[in-house]
Amino acid sequence: MNDWTDDDELMASLAEAVEETDTVTERRRVAAQAAFTWRDVDAELMELLHDSAVEAGSAIRSTGQMSRVLSFGRGAFTLELEVGGNLVLGQLIPGTPGTVVVQQVDAESTTVDTDSSGFFRIEGVEPGLVRFVVTTGGQTLTTAWVHV
Amino acid sequence: MDASDPLPALVSGAREGDQDAWNAIVERYLPLVCGVVRRHRLSEADGDDVCQTLWLRLVEHLATLREPAALPGWIATTTRNECLRLIAARKRMTPVDPVESAALAGIADDLAGADLLAAEARQALREGLAELPAARRELLLILLADPPVSYADISERLDIPVGSIGPTRARALEQLRNTRALLALAERPRLETGGERA
Repeated sequence: MNDWTDDDELMASLAEAVEETDTVTERRRVAAQAAFTWRDVDAELMELLHDSAVEAGSAIRSTGQMSRVLSFGRGAFTLELEVGGNLVLGQLIPGTPGTVVVQQVDAESTTVDTDSSGFFRIEGVEPGLVRFVVTTGGQTLTTAWVHV
Repeated sequence: MDASDPLPALVSGAREGDQDAWNAIVERYLPLVCGVVRRHRLSEADGDDVCQTLWLRLVEHLATLREPAALPGWIATTTRNECLRLIAARKRMTPVDPVESAALAGIADDLAGADLLAAEARQALREGLAELPAARRELLLILLADPPVSYADISERLDIPVGSIGPTRARALEQLRNTRALLALAERPRLETGGERA
């Protein structure tokens, strides 16, 4: 870092700081402001535990193409997802029936029911930021946002 | 509310659901987010994704943010982590090109802790500048203009004698060093670890 006791060095740092505001675009401002509409004070968050897109050795091929495997968890509850193209296959663990809502920043939400073992299938998930809201056994849990 | 309101007020406003308070937080920290993103040399679209992810994460994080003063550090670090996550994901999705992988590894190392601190320092400078009286701020901004503005033009535009531009610049910089933003920079808690302070 520059020595800010020196006037010229402080001015040089100030120039960099002011110049950085030029990196802001209106598109990013609008998206940032709109993020607030997703505020949900009651949401109980599930953390991202695993993402094959950034961790080695876990891409799989069960849907006929390379899929991405994600898991989210909170306490003893886990949501396992396999994402391939616009198709998401998932399972609630422990395997109990429930409903799953996919919330998409750039598209409509979709709601599906799981089968009696907690398996579900969602088609038409658009590329972009999504999160999953799972209701099962009387509790509702929300995943962190993830880019698919 | 606007971006010059004290941060704790903006944070508590946003927690209560005030969109204006949220927009003020966005206005204040967008250059920080975009600046960190730029240094990772992502595509424009990937940069947009990282920005959007950052703000969505902050919406979630607001409720558990114990120390508003730790927010710039949290924003800089989280933005960096999202950039690295995206770079790692891109790396795994594309066929491996040894030359390109080496370049990507270089980018991943690009923003070490020192660079994040520099990003926070630039944020503090912008906030300090906003604290200055308008006339002092205008003088500093016009002195930073590119291409440079001559002292004669500055004198005319700001209606001050040429001879007082230098001394006024020195006083403005001294005032900047003593703004809340710059004084707080040295005392700023890192992430959530300095919760007892302030």
